[in-house]
Amino acid sequence: MEYNIIVAGIGGQGSILASHVLAEAAIENNLRNGKKANVRVGETFGAAQRGGAVASHVRIGDIYGPLVRKGHADMVLALEPLEGLRIGVDYLSPSGVAILNTAAVSPVDVKVGAAEYPSIDKIKEALTAIGRKAVIFDAEALAIRAGSAKCVNIVMLGAACASGELPFEEDILLSAVTGRLPERLVKMNLEAFELGKQAYLTA
Amino acid sequence: MGNEAIARGAYEAGIQLMAAYPGTPSSEIGEVLLDGSRDHDFYCEWSTNEKVAFEAAAGASIVGARSMAAMKNAGLNVAMDTFMTMPYTGCKGGFVVVVADDPSAHYSSTEQDTRLMAEYAEIPCLEPESQQEAKDMAKEAFDISEALELPVFLRSVSRISHASGDVKLGDVRTEHSRIAFNKHYKIQSRWNVYGPPGTLSKHVWLKSIYPKAAAMSEESHFNRLEKVTGAKTAVIASGLGASYAREALEELGLAGKVTFLKLGFIHPLPEKLTAEAIDGADRIIIVEEGDPVVENTVRIFAKEAGSTADILGKRFKGIFRPYGELNTDTVIGAFSEVFGLADEKDEKAAEREKYKPIVIPRSSSLCAGCSHLGSYAAIREALRKEPGVHIVNGDIGCYEQGGYGIFSSKNEACDDDSKKYTCNSPYEILDTIYVMGSGIGMAVGQAKAGYKDGKVMAVAGDSTFLHATLPALIDAVYDNADITFVILDNYWTCMTGHQANPNTIYNPYGDDLPGFDITGVCRSIGVKSISQASSYDRESAVKAVSEALAYKGPSVVIMNDECKLQLGRRVKKGKTKTHVDTARCNGCKSCIRLGCPAVKYDAVSRRSSIDEISCIDCGLCSQYCPQNAIGTEGEQNGI
Repeated sequence: MEYNIIVAGIGGQGSILASHVLAEAAIENNLRNGKKANVRVGETFGAAQRGGAVASHVRIGDIYGPLVRKGHADMVLALEPLEGLRIGVDYLSPSGVAILNTAAVSPVDVKVGAAEYPSIDKIKEALTAIGRKAVIFDAEALAIRAGSAKCVNIVMLGAACASGELPFEEDILLSAVTGRLPERLVKMNLEAFELGKQAYLTA
Repeated sequence: MGNEAIARGAYEAGIQLMAAYPGTPSSEIGEVLLDGSRDHDFYCEWSTNEKVAFEAAAGASIVGARSMAAMKNAGLNVAMDTFMTMPYTGCKGGFVVVVADDPSAHYSSTEQDTRLMAEYAEIPCLEPESQQEAKDMAKEAFDISEALELPVFLRSVSRISHASGDVKLGDVRTEHSRIAFNKHYKIQSRWNVYGPPGTLSKHVWLKSIYPKAAAMSEESHFNRLEKVTGAKTAVIASGLGASYAREALEELGLAGKVTFLKLGFIHPLPEKLTAEAIDGADRIIIVEEGDPVVENTVRIFAKEAGSTADILGKRFKGIFRPYGELNTDTVIGAFSEVFGLADEKDEKAAEREKYKPIVIPRSSSLCAGCSHLGSYAAIREALRKEPGVHIVNGDIGCYEQGGYGIFSSKNEACDDDSKKYTCNSPYEILDTIYVMGSGIGMAVGQAKAGYKDGKVMAVAGDSTFLHATLPALIDAVYDNADITFVILDNYWTCMTGHQANPNTIYNPYGDDLPGFDITGVCRSIGVKSISQASSYDRESAVKAVSEALAYKGPSVVIMNDECKLQLGRRVKKGKTKTHVDTARCNGCKSCIRLGCPAVKYDAVSRRSSIDEISCIDCGLCSQYCPQNAIGTEGEQNGI
């Protein structure tokens, strides 16, 4: 048994934090329920600077290696659509679910006119063709509604939770989220989480 | 994170001194220990370079302290001189050298496998398969070091250091070893390789430790044999390779059907345990990250044991390629082939191929408003005024992106001499990149060899200036080399995560420091032409570089601007004011050639615009717009 999630985004969006929250929830789930499942997070990122592609591989279960095998991601949680596409094309399992924030951040290649950003429709088409389903919504707008664009990662965790696919219960995930936050940010992030859940269910 | 696990292991072992120079993927070991050092009463430092770090830790060990030096693969090359010699005297306090290798060279100039250096230096080498083992090994390495009185080498890789896993914590040793010194500790002239009875006697002593280390390796719980009676295949896997091998065996239903030897104490390699593992096997598979280091020794052991088994690894009938990192897929693929199992079918292979073309790259770039953008624009402008084919030698740091070539990746190789290439962005400017400090040394050689087809330049950051350029700069003055050296001083060691260095105006704990007098050092070395300029002032920056280029002899230009990411953490920016007047913009792309990720170009309207989220109002693009179409009115809020 194994469950593989890849959180994809760009540097500064909080994808690594989101992946560690998922991993901590998995560890807590082991502790609470006396389960024995390995938990690993493998990170891949470019040069150590802002704005580079980041993919964080969260693996739970009878696993040892730090990276998800190609075509074996049960969930791709994309904080940025192009990065969701990049990871989805290689890693999304035919039975996997892709959840995408539609707020795009153009790479420098597009800004200088050397490449064209694929349309959101095309990205959705690709991920639907490869995986079981693709759910897309503007998580950035929801994060701003909750209080700050910075909680886009928590909106996405809410959506991941609403999918019902994660191998642990909502309360465990929520305590992993709040355990990471100072008191003053808890309310805003709980709101962000809730908005993400609703967005998944209504998308 | 693996690096946090290593730091935790050192803390549990009662570390007294840690010295490191930051280098991806090793930096977090130092960051985590620095964070805890004041509260937990041990000393940590970012050393000037890895050799100094190694020596600081070695010195601490000589007076009895438990000490650690941490670095990346390339860092060990810098420390090699002392690293090779220290084992001749051994150590007193537990001394652990952590080196993070980087198979696939994600963040490095080479894929070098430093396990070979541990063998070369004749010291024990440990290699973890998981974050748990990274923590356990970092802790136990201190005991091994004290038992053998030798430095112990802990070899990590990117996928251990920069991956995370669940780790069970252990007890913390709270007592610290006594700090004391004895010149003839247990051995005459203990800490002096030349002292009587001479260097050879020290090597004889080192050789005498080897059997003890080998015996320890035979008994180590980091080496575990799962012998399957009657199995004809033995899989021998070391470090992270063991994780991949285990997963592949389970995936293919081979677990429990082959003998499995997991290795973690890999130098000396346990000869008896290996012989037991391969006894009766007609096929030995070796899985390891990096060079065939374990494989080479297993081949020797197998021959000694009279085994005629086929040995499959990275040499001869190699089943793994001899470069690049392993992963579960490559190990499953190799095992499938060896065992004649069918490849798993990917039912969506056609769809994946179909959509691959729309996946565009996200090339690495300098940050929006980075001072290197201004420095490189000024160097390009100054060089354009000079005839010829100029050489700009770079090295390692954020500014190495000056050689990433994202605007010119289609350039083809050719056999011409002194050929001029267009340089349309900061990402084309660097002509040579090797290692920290290599640029200035090579510039001296180019100039003294008689290169006359153009100007010869070198660039280096402030941390690199201190780390690795001073002897070469002294050489340039001594030899009167006609070169221009531009120091890109942004006050921090940025590429590895903004660590403080002696040129930073704070120490790692945030206490104020005066910074470092780079100009004064250059002057005292004997550089006659020294100027300072701001990368954000086009006119003065270009003038400074042009005057330096005109000077006959070694000249230095110091571009002096704090990293904007670091500055932005202290001084918050308001709403972005920089904007493009689309009526004036004629689509000439001068601003795009600046290479700033906050400047966008729309191919349809043929106009530039500013990305409000990433722009920091540095004003550079405005100075480089020939149409005066970029405005930056109002206060800029300190940035």
